Formats: sequence, C-alpha cells, structure tokens
Amino acid sequence: MTIWDLPKKTSGKVARFNLNMPENLKTRLNEMGFTVGQLVTCMKRTPFNGPLVIQVQDCVYSVDKQIASQIEIQS
Amino acid sequence: MKKIILVGKPNSGKSLLFNQLTGLRQHVANFPGVTVELKSGTFGDFEVVDFPGTYSLQAMSSDEIIAINQLHKALDHEDTALILCNLDATKLERSLVFALQAQALAKEHGKSVVFTLNIMDQVKRFGYDYDVEALSKVLGSPVYAISAKTLLGISEFTAALKKHAAAPEKCQVQETLLTQLSPLEAAKQIADEHGIKQELVLGNQTKLDNILLNSFFGGIIFVATMFFLFQSIFTWATPLMDLTEAGVFGVGEWVSGALPEGVVADFVNDAIFGGLGAFLVFIPQIMVLTLIIGLLEDSGYLARAALICHKPLSLFGLSGRSFIPYLSAHACAIPAIMAARTIESPRKRLVTMLTIPLMSCSARIPVYALLVAVLIPDERYLGGWVSLQGAIFFMLYFGGLVTALLVGRLLDIWIEKGEQRNDLPFILELPSYRLPHWRPLFYKTLNSGIAFVRRAGPVIFTVSLVIWVLGYFPEQGNLQSSWLASIGKLVEPVFAPLGIDWRYAVAILLSFLAREVFVGVLGTMFAIENAEENMSGLVEQMQADGFTFATGVALLAFYVIALQCVATVATLKGELGKNRYSWGIFVAYGLLAYLVSFLLYTMLS
Repeated sequence: MTIWDLPKKTSGKVARFNLNMPENLKTRLNEMGFTVGQLVTCMKRTPFNGPLVIQVQDCVYSVDKQIASQIEIQS
Repeated sequence: MKKIILVGKPNSGKSLLFNQLTGLRQHVANFPGVTVELKSGTFGDFEVVDFPGTYSLQAMSSDEIIAINQLHKALDHEDTALILCNLDATKLERSLVFALQAQALAKEHGKSVVFTLNIMDQVKRFGYDYDVEALSKVLGSPVYAISAKTLLGISEFTAALKKHAAAPEKCQVQETLLTQLSPLEAAKQIADEHGIKQELVLGNQTKLDNILLNSFFGGIIFVATMFFLFQSIFTWATPLMDLTEAGVFGVGEWVSGALPEGVVADFVNDAIFGGLGAFLVFIPQIMVLTLIIGLLEDSGYLARAALICHKPLSLFGLSGRSFIPYLSAHACAIPAIMAARTIESPRKRLVTMLTIPLMSCSARIPVYALLVAVLIPDERYLGGWVSLQGAIFFMLYFGGLVTALLVGRLLDIWIEKGEQRNDLPFILELPSYRLPHWRPLFYKTLNSGIAFVRRAGPVIFTVSLVIWVLGYFPEQGNLQSSWLASIGKLVEPVFAPLGIDWRYAVAILLSFLAREVFVGVLGTMFAIENAEENMSGLVEQMQADGFTFATGVALLAFYVIALQCVATVATLKGELGKNRYSWGIFVAYGLLAYLVSFLLYTMLS
C-alpha cells in the first residue's frame, strides 16, 4: 500500500520508497519530512484523482499521484 | 561593503525580515532565464543579501541550481561577514533541516552564523515560549527570538546583528553534541526537545482548509477569488492605464507644441512619446496583478488555489499555478507572463509562458468586434437571449484557449525529448494562513514595474520607432504612400492565399506594435475619420468593398493565433533569457496562424 491508497483521515507509517526513485528526489522527500518510520496522515483527497493533502510532522503538503504512489506505507 | 547573507526555508517570514532590515534601500538582481532573484539592501554599514527560500542545499530544478551556486559563491567571498539563518518558530524541525545544512556549510568556509527564530508572535498566541538560551547552546550559534511582523524583539536583534557582523569571529560556530548527527536527525532531536507541538500550530490551519478546500464551498470561494482578480486587471486597472496614456500623450503634445510644425515635432510626439506610451501603459496592469497575486501568496491561499486546479491543468503539461496567468492573459499577456513566475517548476513555467499569448487578450477585442460586425448579421435567438455575434465571440475566445492547451501538450512532449527532465515533482507545502504585511507586498509591486521597464522597455521602444519611420516617410505622414505601404504591396502575394490585399497586409504589419491599431489603420486606408469610435462607417465600407466571408474567417483565425505584439515578445525574451524561445514562438505562431487561416479560407471560398 502506498500513500496514494490512504483513505481520508487515516494515517500510516512510511515503510520505503520506490526502488526506481531518483536519489535526489528521495533526499528531498526526506528533508521535507518523509522519512522511514514517520507517521503521515491523509487530511483530504480531491475529486478526479487530484492531489492529496498530506500532513507530515509540522507541515502540510499537497502531493500528486506521481509522488504519492511511490512512497510505501504500513497502516 | 561587508555582506550579511540571509537564508531560510520558503514561507518562513524571511522576506518580511529582509524588508524590515533594509526598508527602501534595496534593489533586485535578476538572472536571465530564471525567476531567481537576489534582493540586496543596506542595513547600517552592511549589505544584506536575501537568497531565495529553499528546502535543501541539493538542487533539483534549474532555479535551485542557480540559487545554490550563488550561495556557494557568496560563502567563498571574503566580503561575506555573516550568515543569517531564518527559522520558522512554528515549524522548527522543517526549518532546521535546511538551517543545519547551511550552518555546517558556513562552518566549512570559516563563516559565522546567527539564527533568527521568526514568527514568535504566532508562537506566543498559541501559548508557547522558547528557551532561547538553551537553543543557542544546542545549536552552537547565537539565536534571537523575533517577529518580523509585530517587531517583537527586533530592536535587540538589530543591535546584536550589527555587533556580530562587525566582529564575526566572536560568533564562530561552536562544536555541539549534535555535530556528529546528520542534519535530519539533529533537527528531529532539537525539535522534539525544544519545538512547539504541531497540534497547536496546525489546528487553525486545518479548520480553514476544511472550508477552503471543501469540494463545494472551496469551489465557490475559488471562483469568487478568481472573479475578483480578473475584475481587478480588466476594469480597475483601466482608469490607471487611461491616466498613464493621457499623461504621456499630454506631455508629448506639450513638448512637441513648443517645436515648429514638421518632421521634428511629429517625431517627438509620435515616435518618442508614442514609443514611451507603448510600454508605460502596461505598468498599471502589471502592478495591480502583482499586488493581488502577492496578497494571495502571502496569505497562503495561492498554494490552495494551485491545489484546486492542479489536476485538470496537469493533463496539458501545466501546473495548478498556471491558472492565474492563463486567466490574467485574457486581459493582457504581459502581466500574465510576469505572473507565471510563481510557477515553481521551471519546465511548467516555460510551457505556461509560451502558451499565454494564445489567450484572447483585450487588445484583440476591437479587431474581433470589427470583423464580427462585418461578417456576421446581428441576429438574436431564444427571445433575444442568444446573439449570433456573441456566440462567435465566445468561439474565438474558446478557440484561443483550446489552441493553447494543445500547444502546451505538444511543448510538454517536445521539451521532454529535447531537454533532460530536470524538474520538481508536484509536492507543494500548504503554508499556514497569515495576514499579509504591507511591506513585502509594496516592494514586490514596485519591483514588478521596474523589472518590466528594464527588460521589455528598450525593445518595445525601438520597434515603435522603426515602425513609425516606415509609416511616416517618404511623404511625411501619408500612410497610404509610405514605405510601410510599399512593404504591404511587396508582401501582398504572401497574404493572397488568405484572400487578403495589401491594405489588410499593412494593418497586420502594424498590428505587431499592438493589435488594436488594426481598426485605426483600416480606417485610414478607407479614409474614415476616427474609425475606433465610429466603427459602423468602416463596417459598411468594408462590406461594400467586397470583403468576403472566407477572408473574414481567415483574418479572425489569424488574429486568434498569431503573436502580433512586440511587447509580449519583449517580455518573453526578458523572462526566458533565451532568444530562441521568444523569437521561435513568434515565428511558430505566425506560421500556425497562416496555415490555419489558409485552410479555412480554402475551405470556405
């Protein structure tokens, strides 16, 4: 299961990143708060498979499918 | 002059701090082709340089590469006295991830670091306070708790900053227990120990987001906001534009009135002041739009608006932030291209900027109005609610939008092949909602006007001058026998496949200055005084002259697509830096317009 599959108002812990993800993107996501073991919460889903609203630690991000589906979680 | 380098993550109150430190004494350095801006201003005996907000020292986009290279350069420079790291006290961990990297880098270069713990007014409102001394100890550099907005702690901070900058060796970065850890781990540890609890901070934001991002209310608020924005550039900027035009015209009349009648007076009045007016007239629109987008950005709403329109626009290679530039482009392409700066992804910004000229801007309205009146009977249906002319007008606007989206899709594919896919993914921080402060907004608005004059002014002025000379000589002001008319006759064969004769060719050529002159020029050609105000006389003349339906449709299509606006090309050139894009798109839209007009003409005649 990935962040993209999180229903609204549910959380999960980041398990790992897609193996094909470029190293610099992984670093950036880490720096933005998406670290392995970190709890992430889906605050909102938008219509027509639009971006999700994800809360990570002290920040809220909007993340589109391309990124969200590359971050695996354990719920 | 010794320099203080100001760095920090985006949305951390950094530009407000910069503005509070420097006030009016600031200027902006732009880099060609990107939207990276280095703002610098004086603070006492020092120069403060504001670096673009970034999350990381590892660049992903072309903008970030430039910003980070500049930072490295500044760190190497002997004039750099101090690195000032701005932290968002409401988001300590996120700010520290970047700040600790910057601190480590500064230490490597033997530079000293001072931290500001900004946005303390919010923190206090949440009923929390920081132990600044303990934080200083754990960070190994001085920390000052301030609010750049309410000026809390600012006077102590500025006094201390002057002292530190004068003797930076006294605030060298100290070794701490955390030095061994990676910035990520250290940030986490410090935030856990000292930082404000996230539930306190995010509570209000979540409540507002539940309304503003609600599928129903959020949609209504979005439409209302965009309506307000569109109104502001379309109608509210108009009085200011009229005033600018009247002002330039008045001064021109006054100056040329003092000269004897003849070439010199005409030159001063029409060429010099006409050329000045040709670009000064855009400034009110640019500044009004910058102000409103600045308000939306600083309040935190812009990021939400981008989220709302991201999905539909991403299908065409655009970003959610392309929406506002596209909307504004229906008033004028110039402020819209400048508004596209807020698009975070360089690649999507490029696609947006290059497709903006296809939106039907207000300069096309007189052209559409004339041609539609000539071609389409004024018939009404459904009890007068639907007018045929209105429907055609709608189709013209819609045609421009559809062409833009299709071209956007093509450009997206083409750029993907042509250039390495060096771009940011769509992950956007939704910053906390805040009441905007007037200072950064004021300087942003002022700078947008200055940047436009610097970048586009010279090109627009030169082209106006050349066109004036071509239309004036050799027979002093007689357009019908001017060099321009000769050129029109020369290129007549080129336009013949569209059913257009030399008079329309001259009008098209002159439209490159500004499309709306089309009506006036045709008026001159058909010897109608004041054709702009009295269009019906010109309409009758053109109908009597055997202007066919096919020619009219071809001309309309040409005006929908062609990039006939030197100001737009000049602005694109200024924003993109690379001539091949701005002139390339000029040629490409010209050819596309020609092709579509030709096909329509051939089909209809």
